[in-house]
Amino acid sequence: MHVVIINGSPRTKKYSNTDKIIQAFGKGMIQSGATYELYSLSDRKEWEDAREAFYTHTRILIALPLYVECIPGLLLEFLETLHKKEENGTEISFILQSGFAEGCQLRCGEEFLKMLPGQLNCRYGGCLVKGDNFGIRIADDNQLEQILTPYEKMGELYGACGTFEFAEAKKFTGPEKFAFPIRILLAFLFKTVAKKKFIEAAKAWGCTQPLDDRPYAE
Amino acid sequence: MEKNILIINTIPNGEIFTKLKELLNGTQNNMDWVDASVFNISHCIGCNYCWLKNPGVCTIKDDYEILLKKMVHSDAMWVISETSFGFLSHPAKNIFDRIMPLVTMYLHFQDGEMRHVMRYQNKLDIGIIYSGEGNQEYLERWCKRTAINFGSQSLGVFSEDSIKEAVSCM
Ligand SMILES: Cc1cc2nc3c(=O)[nH]c(=O)nc-3n(C[C@H](O)[C@H](O)[C@H](O)COP(=O)(O)O)c2cc1C
Repeated sequence: MHVVIINGSPRTKKYSNTDKIIQAFGKGMIQSGATYELYSLSDRKEWEDAREAFYTHTRILIALPLYVECIPGLLLEFLETLHKKEENGTEISFILQSGFAEGCQLRCGEEFLKMLPGQLNCRYGGCLVKGDNFGIRIADDNQLEQILTPYEKMGELYGACGTFEFAEAKKFTGPEKFAFPIRILLAFLFKTVAKKKFIEAAKAWGCTQPLDDRPYAE
Repeated sequence: MEKNILIINTIPNGEIFTKLKELLNGTQNNMDWVDASVFNISHCIGCNYCWLKNPGVCTIKDDYEILLKKMVHSDAMWVISETSFGFLSHPAKNIFDRIMPLVTMYLHFQDGEMRHVMRYQNKLDIGIIYSGEGNQEYLERWCKRTAINFGSQSLGVFSEDSIKEAVSCM
């Protein structure tokens, strides 16, 4: 099985969380005997080849970060340049990942992805949905492995059947919402550990203003 | 207090923008009309600088800053958009993606879900007016969810044909 993977993140490949997820996922796919080619839409020079690959192949996987409850404007712009496939038989699957951790945060975006393939005369091959990925960019190697290994496993399963219509993919999302006691704990962590981590990250990036600065207030 | 209403057009030579102006002609003086279809506005590149490097400021120096400054001082924002795949088309989606400087990196729970803490105190309600074949149900769902992310409310989603109803919700 050969898969065309399109990274729909606007972030340059080097810093893209989606790219790291694709690398892990792809490793799993290869273990199950599948092959893939990858295009990253953050580089417009790859758009022409990505379009060509979309028209030539029948198994497409679009991996993307959730952007304001739906797909990034840049991915939308790319999709607007595609015409419907003339032949039937193409299947588009998705990896949808996001910053917020609860499954319910990604459902509105997922709903759009369910409707999309039909409009390009393709079939929907399911969507692997998971949040809590903002930290990939600032994670250390240990944390990174913890986040990415499960994606490798999913890649292996996807590589064997070519869709996300298996039970493990459904479970992969984790909780739809956090139970009240967990929210209390997380809210505490947001105000302490997370806040400190963000301030440190900002400092490392050369930030000199408070993170809640209001540059455009009167 | 009178509400400040920001109307952003993203449709080149769009009739909706003109019609809307005619309908509201003189009735309201708190409206800010911006034709962003002639603006140069990039997509968001996800650099996160607006949260972690220059809090509240977008690194992309294009015409979006004009909109951002207006949003901070508005109570409602109406975006006029074409549609793709039943959803907004990319120029309008870019306007929403680029809105990140209005929220901070900090997190909290709001109605049981994770949210970013807002940067400013104003509550920016959101309305959509679209041309073409929009998926009304989906657009309404999306607009409601999006407004929740900015601690505000959806004012509704209206097709070109129901523009008068949109006006009544302003
Ligand atoms: C403009 C913008 C909008 C975003 N909107 C959402 C959102 O609505 N919900 C969410 O959970 N995460 C949201 N995120 C977080 C990203 O989905 C998350 O950080 C993702 O891992 C980024 O992947 P990337 O590095 O491949 O672009 C947003 C990020 C950006 C930059």
